[in-house]
Amino acid sequence: MKSIKIHTENMYLHYGSKMALNNVSIEIPENKVTALIGPSGCGKSTFLRSLNRMNDLIDTVKIEGNILIDGINIYDKNIDVVNLRKKVGMVFQKSNPFAKSIYENVAYGSRINGINNKNELNEIVENSLCNAAIWDEVKDRLHDSALGLSGGQQQRLCIARTLAVNPEVILMDEPASALDPISTSKIEELIHSLKEKFTIVIVTHNMQQAARVSDETAFFYLGELIEYGKTKKIFTNPDKKQTEDYISGRFG
Amino acid sequence: MTEMEKYRIFDNELEKLIERVLKMSNLVHEQVGNAILALNNCDLELANNVIENDHKVDKLDVKIDKLCQKIFALQQPVATDLRYIISSLKINNDLERIGDHAVNIAKRIDSLCDYTNFSKELGVTEVANQIVMLSKDVDQLIKTQQPILATDIFKNARIIKDSCHKISEKIIEEMMQQKEVIVIATNIMIIVNLLERIAAYSTNIAESILFVIDGKIVKHKKKTEE
Repeated sequence: MKSIKIHTENMYLHYGSKMALNNVSIEIPENKVTALIGPSGCGKSTFLRSLNRMNDLIDTVKIEGNILIDGINIYDKNIDVVNLRKKVGMVFQKSNPFAKSIYENVAYGSRINGINNKNELNEIVENSLCNAAIWDEVKDRLHDSALGLSGGQQQRLCIARTLAVNPEVILMDEPASALDPISTSKIEELIHSLKEKFTIVIVTHNMQQAARVSDETAFFYLGELIEYGKTKKIFTNPDKKQTEDYISGRFG
Repeated sequence: MTEMEKYRIFDNELEKLIERVLKMSNLVHEQVGNAILALNNCDLELANNVIENDHKVDKLDVKIDKLCQKIFALQQPVATDLRYIISSLKINNDLERIGDHAVNIAKRIDSLCDYTNFSKELGVTEVANQIVMLSKDVDQLIKTQQPILATDIFKNARIIKDSCHKISEKIIEEMMQQKEVIVIATNIMIIVNLLERIAAYSTNIAESILFVIDGKIVKHKKKTEE
């Protein structure tokens, strides 16, 4: 039986008086890729950001309901948000490497966590870059600036930086939307290999990408979770007409 | 190109495919009807028309295949659209085979003209007429996508197949008893076999339409009470 990594129960989220998520209950399985799809403004990115409390940075946000990761409510008062974000890493639409060397980008998280042993850092950097499928491309220029890498390489570097602090969940917000088809295919292959070790939740506007990379798909519309199920079912025979209309491009 | 334009193009392509599949169905239904009419009346001119019209079926078969390939490559269909296009490829293939069998029947009519009573006695005419009705139901099912028609097709195709097996057994008995009928009996046996194959392809088409309707794969499952 699949084990559940993330579980939300009757979750509501408001930006001020505007409701952005309406009674979302979902069980996201461990070591699987779950794609969140839906038109702009449907709440999928808001939902994604709730899973590592990125929405805390917005003053007007109010959240009700439970969001459990490994059975623990991440909005409990005693939760350390820094530790939560170590456990639940995030990759954004636009790659955002620090203006530092490739090596320092990956080592950064470990350094601020107090790891200064050179051998240990070398090992973390190499492992993370290998897991992010970019080691062979950068191993001879680890001390060059990360900003000299291509867009696709920068995005994989950011994934390596996320992996370096040993997360359990990786949230990806349109990680390949700004990349060419070859870089996109590398990121998609990477997502596929990462699910062995991590639970991945990805927001994408690209229907074919959701179909290719994910095991489960959740369709959001106007803040509601309309349909959630196996990707192969959603893309061949969805239960709800709204889902069918959206994935086949006949929406609105 | 805006998203809306993209989907308008997609819908146009889909409309074109639906039209072509309906045309193919109509054409093949006509070919089967004419082949059986020619068989029953020993009408060699009509049989010849069936043979000559086969190129129209073949031409449309290729056009449908190409359109499906184009839609797959350029539009990446999903859900009902995906199921419809997958099924169109299969239905097209089955219709083309039915068309070939109509031609094969037409080609053998000449050799059977002197033995129409023998055919009737064996029950071939009755089965041939049932095939025309089945072909009409298939054409209607493709047009209307009503599941009830699929159920009728499964049932009637089964009846036809059973009749064909019984006729084949009778033919073998006749051949064992009178060696002089071997040539003509073999020709009738081939016709019976072709009718049985048309019934089998009709079942396939009904299965494909059910897949379009609700996404369930029903082939290789028992469909009627036997």
